[in-house]
Amino acid sequence: MTVEKKEVTLLLIEDDEVDAMSITRAFRKMSLGNPIIRACDGLEGLELLRSGKVQSPYVILLDLQMPRLNGLEFLDEIRQDPKLVNSIVFVLTTSKSDEDITASYRKHIAGYFVKDQVGEGFLDIVKVLNGYWKIVIFPGE
Amino acid sequence: MKDIPTESINTESERQKLIDSSQFQGIHWFILMLSCILTFAAWYIATEQHNKSVAERFERESLQSIELVKERMQLYEHALWGAVAHIDASDKEVDYLQWKNYSDSLQIHQTYPGINGLGIILNVKLEQKNSFINQQQKQRANFTIHPSHKEPELWPITYIEPYLTNKQAVGLDVAFEKNRYSGIKNARDTGLAQLTGPITLVQDAKQTPGFLFYAPFYKKGALRDSVSARREAIIGVTYAPFIMSKLISGTLAVDKRHVTLKISDNGESLYNDADNDDASKIDPNPLFIKHIDVDLYGRKWQFQISSNLDFRENSKSNQPHLILLGGVIINLLLLALFIFLSRANKQALAYADVITRELKIKTQRLVKSNQDLEQFAYVASHDLKSPLNAIRKLVSWISEDCENLLPASSKEHLTLLNNRSERMNKLLDDLLDYARIGRHEYKSQPVDLAATAREIFSLLDHPKTFTLSVESQSLNVAKIPLEIVLRNLISNAIKHHDKSSGHIEITYEKDDDSHAIYVKDDGPGIPKDLVDKALEMFQTLRPRDKVEGSGMGLSLSKKTVEHYGGSLTIESDGKSGTTIIVRWPAKNTK
Repeated sequence: MTVEKKEVTLLLIEDDEVDAMSITRAFRKMSLGNPIIRACDGLEGLELLRSGKVQSPYVILLDLQMPRLNGLEFLDEIRQDPKLVNSIVFVLTTSKSDEDITASYRKHIAGYFVKDQVGEGFLDIVKVLNGYWKIVIFPGE
Repeated sequence: MKDIPTESINTESERQKLIDSSQFQGIHWFILMLSCILTFAAWYIATEQHNKSVAERFERESLQSIELVKERMQLYEHALWGAVAHIDASDKEVDYLQWKNYSDSLQIHQTYPGINGLGIILNVKLEQKNSFINQQQKQRANFTIHPSHKEPELWPITYIEPYLTNKQAVGLDVAFEKNRYSGIKNARDTGLAQLTGPITLVQDAKQTPGFLFYAPFYKKGALRDSVSARREAIIGVTYAPFIMSKLISGTLAVDKRHVTLKISDNGESLYNDADNDDASKIDPNPLFIKHIDVDLYGRKWQFQISSNLDFRENSKSNQPHLILLGGVIINLLLLALFIFLSRANKQALAYADVITRELKIKTQRLVKSNQDLEQFAYVASHDLKSPLNAIRKLVSWISEDCENLLPASSKEHLTLLNNRSERMNKLLDDLLDYARIGRHEYKSQPVDLAATAREIFSLLDHPKTFTLSVESQSLNVAKIPLEIVLRNLISNAIKHHDKSSGHIEITYEKDDDSHAIYVKDDGPGIPKDLVDKALEMFQTLRPRDKVEGSGMGLSLSKKTVEHYGGSLTIESDGKSGTTIIVRWPAKNTK
């Protein structure tokens, strides 16, 4: 049985323009053609997801410190939403605090990146993501 | 902060000591009680001794009075026997003139003070009465014998000198009265000097008690070995009349004694101070009274001796009262001292409490302001970092994207921009580290000094020409803070080296209570006057463009070491080489 693999969409929820640009730049640098949808905060991300603008399969790259609805609150929302509960979420933040890390994993994230530690221009993250969705089986719709 | 409980226990126990010493305790009461007991004991003993000595004095004085009376009576007895000897020595019978001469030459008032006179009483048989009177009237025409009585014999007072004061007695027949008569018979029968019982002398105008003192004389050569022989041989007696009050005032002048006398004979009063002019000295409630019976020449005199007012006056002694007063004063002073001390301690305690409270408030404020400052430094440096990171990224993108478009000068500017951003990033990192020092407490763990130092050295970006030698030693300290300190010190040693190659030597010494780590380099050293400056925050001794640095390495290390209770000092001659000495407490409490 072969399933045609669709390109994975990246939902980037990041309030910082430059960081968001870093990701898109890294994707360009790696010559990846995955669609990237950006939301400026948790609330916008939630709206995008609920409005169905984000095509499955998708991976969410989530910042924690954001206005309106922050990362952890966003995680709470999607984990309570039966349609979104299976979403694969990576956290990308400046916070190194143990509390944030623990709280994030409790909400079933797939990985936690600290911005300082991911190398020049977020290339490493993009490499990980690329490797990840190449071989990982995503949850069915 | 872990040592606060022990500290507070210490201060608490010190405080308890103050509280204890500010209260009256058993020992204070014990000392006061002991002192009171001693005072009263001293007072009691002094009083007892005084009373004893007073009693002894009374005893002495009373015995002395009696002895004086006895002595005086002996003196009078001698006078009487002297007269007897004179009579016995005369060839013929002693006549009036001869007796007068004798007693004049004797000067009896000077020789025998207290005596009323000295005389002779002759024994006259009834049948010889008239011839005796006739014979006497040859010299003294008015001589008669009186009064008449029924006794078988006469005992007329024949001579008595001095005549003037005794003229009523001349011719008095002493047999007329019982006491006089029995006294003379006793003298005759015993051959001894004898006294009469109390009588009133005829020559005493005041009619006060008195007595006569007889000494018998007998025919020359006659036997006198028995009562009957003596009765047969009796001629007469020499005698002396006494007025008792005169005798006593001559013997025991009232002002020379401290006792009141009362003398009686067989219940009849002989003498009583109360009857005299000096009765004022009598003590109505005498301190002492003594009754003594004294045998005196055939009579028994009862002496009643009691202390008088003079005695009472002399017996007064302030000593016991002074002792009592002194003791009470000492006790009061002691009490005052204890109260004073306890008050002083209470005040000290109150003062200490006030100061402690103020100190606590100040400490709380200080802690709060320190926390605020650290919080501020942390937040500021953290929040400053994200825009900085954005700047750095943007700069790198411009460099990448416009590599072929930009003129060389702009490229250099971009390089400088990047460089300054890097420096600011490092500054913020160090500031964050500095602010974080107090935010996390690291536990002590075994740390291999050599391995740790080598790892840090290898991770630092340095030319291959730099070498490190480190003493192998295992310490039990907080690892991460020690790493921060070593990293900064080693990094400084390399960064500030003036030559292209260098050597860093880390040695270790164990003191009593601390680990001493010496980080020694062979660099340019730090001039003495700049040592303090080197430890200040954001201070670099050379321009930052020459040596990349935040200027926080040393102050960060110092603060870290001090946070763990240690110290960091710099030793340098300012010419070659610097030694940084880190003393890390060896105690496991931190």
